[in-house]
Amino acid sequence: MTREEVAAVIKKHILDNLEDLEENEINTAKSMKDFGANSLDIIEVVSCSMRELKIKIPRTELADIITIDQLTDKFMEHVT
Amino acid sequence: MVCKIQAKKACRQEREIMTEKIITRMDDNGIAYLKMNDIEEKNTFSDDFIAGIIKGLDKITAMKPNVLILSGLEDVFSGGAEKKNLIDLCNGKVHVKDLLISEKLINTPFPVIAAMEGHAVGGGLVIAACCDIVLAARESRYGAVFMLMGFTPGMGCTTLLSELVGPFIANEMMFTGKRFKGSELARKSTNINYILSKKEIINKAEDIAWQISENNIKSIYLLKNTLSAKKKKLLIEARQQEDLMHKISFAFPETREAVEEFYAGKENKKK
Repeated sequence: MTREEVAAVIKKHILDNLEDLEENEINTAKSMKDFGANSLDIIEVVSCSMRELKIKIPRTELADIITIDQLTDKFMEHVT
Repeated sequence: MVCKIQAKKACRQEREIMTEKIITRMDDNGIAYLKMNDIEEKNTFSDDFIAGIIKGLDKITAMKPNVLILSGLEDVFSGGAEKKNLIDLCNGKVHVKDLLISEKLINTPFPVIAAMEGHAVGGGLVIAACCDIVLAARESRYGAVFMLMGFTPGMGCTTLLSELVGPFIANEMMFTGKRFKGSELARKSTNINYILSKKEIINKAEDIAWQISENNIKSIYLLKNTLSAKKKKLLIEARQQEDLMHKISFAFPETREAVEEFYAGKENKKK
């Protein structure tokens, strides 16, 4: 799976979980919090994305991630 | 109506008692307020916090209000169980203190309005289900996350949650642990009275409380006693099953790992 495909999955779930947000507004160098996501929104985006990508990453490994790019990189370490 | 409320509010003499984590007060119209205000621990049920809620409810009961508005923080109504108490349960220690909140809320002689501006998860959502009227926020999330930590739901969740959100949505909440966004619940047929934007919640709760407070307190108490009979029965039924399921599920070796994993991210963020 390519990085672009992983990023597209994450973006899809960000749009599903955050209201009033357009795809072109998402800047992957930023945190989801910058687009109005609260802590449980972020958990939901991460869980939904991991389910779709069929990967499981312990929460301890995700705790220090801030930006969407960093999340994509972390997912890339686990996708096949 | 709103002007009338505001005018009355302006001349109300309010008695406010502040404790560290629980704020209680009552106004001259017989509307009592209990705000769960543990900013640091996000209204999770530590022993002290539970004791504070119980003490607050006792204090309010003694004031004989017509109605109570139960609220939390703007971002979190209640985060449910505290990790330490869950690990105690994994170690075989019996811990029933959080059950006291469900029991106490159901047994109040006055109606309780749960005004949930923020998230409510696990036991935090169950306490809303113990109330008589429930308001939730479109922006916040609500879920029964017990199974995400490897153990079965408690505090009366298995019978009371279906009363609030309907049996099939309750099943989904309990089996998956998914935290539903308020806006998503608003599109489903739940029994939550109002799902509004966060900033509207307290005003709406006060409007409902105002309407209740205009009625005869003696009849309010009589009606509450009758209407809560079903919930009291449901809580007893739930506890018989839930206590047994907890004995079994907290003894699973995987449960301790799941609890540690569930709280890992939160603890890292605090450091």
